[in-house]
Amino acid sequence: MESTLNSPAAAPRAGAGSLSWIWQAVTGVGLVILAGLHMVAHHFVVAGGLRNFAEVLAYIRNPLIWPLEILFLVCVTAHALLGVRAIIFDLGLSETAERRVTQVLWGVGLLAVAYGAWLTWVLVTYPA
Amino acid sequence: MNTPSPTRPRRVWQWADVRGRKLGMWAFILNRLSGLGLTLYLFIHLGVLSMLTGGPDSWDPFLAIVKAPWFLMLDVILLAGLLIHGLNGIRVTLNGFGIGVRAQKQLFLVLMAVAAVAGLLGAWIIFAETK
Repeated sequence: MESTLNSPAAAPRAGAGSLSWIWQAVTGVGLVILAGLHMVAHHFVVAGGLRNFAEVLAYIRNPLIWPLEILFLVCVTAHALLGVRAIIFDLGLSETAERRVTQVLWGVGLLAVAYGAWLTWVLVTYPA
Repeated sequence: MNTPSPTRPRRVWQWADVRGRKLGMWAFILNRLSGLGLTLYLFIHLGVLSMLTGGPDSWDPFLAIVKAPWFLMLDVILLAGLLIHGLNGIRVTLNGFGIGVRAQKQLFLVLMAVAAVAGLLGAWIIFAETK
């Protein structure tokens, strides 16, 4: 690795694992598109700046949009929690503690995605 | 897999030690702090969205609050965090796959300049468009 900008963030993380790093990179690339779409759709093209309830419903009920929003949630949650995991692993935990951390973060991630999917379902099926 | 890389700070508190920091370490710290901030925002955002389940009576009055100038400033900070983390992340990913390693310093500076310009443009749009 070059010495000018030999950032530890510029290489697969030794403690957090190379596979985790690759997943974080893959979800990160996905987020460049999905987070961009999310920000533009919710902040930059809406008259008045933010969507009111009726506009949220109209947007989320689009059959092209809600799967993208779910995919966005999966990617952003995985990316965020893999990042948190890498930071926690930098604390120098034992292997047992690292396994626990991974299990807890899996739980948090699954709950977040399940909650987001439920919220989407509530909105898609909200009485007109 | 627990062997620390030679350039990696062994403890989180070392992020705050600014002595002898090179650009690479600043990029690393910036990436992690922006990532932690965005993670915190993600879970707050998910919590706030629960108001949607209450229908228009719950959501629409909330919009009046989030359209206040001080709240729009938080939107600008969010946008800045996304741009910094996202563009720096692209550099990290490219470098991680061995692309542009020799030009990583220049790449970092260029991408942060892009983040600054895009952030200012985004801030202008957020304040101009929100009514």
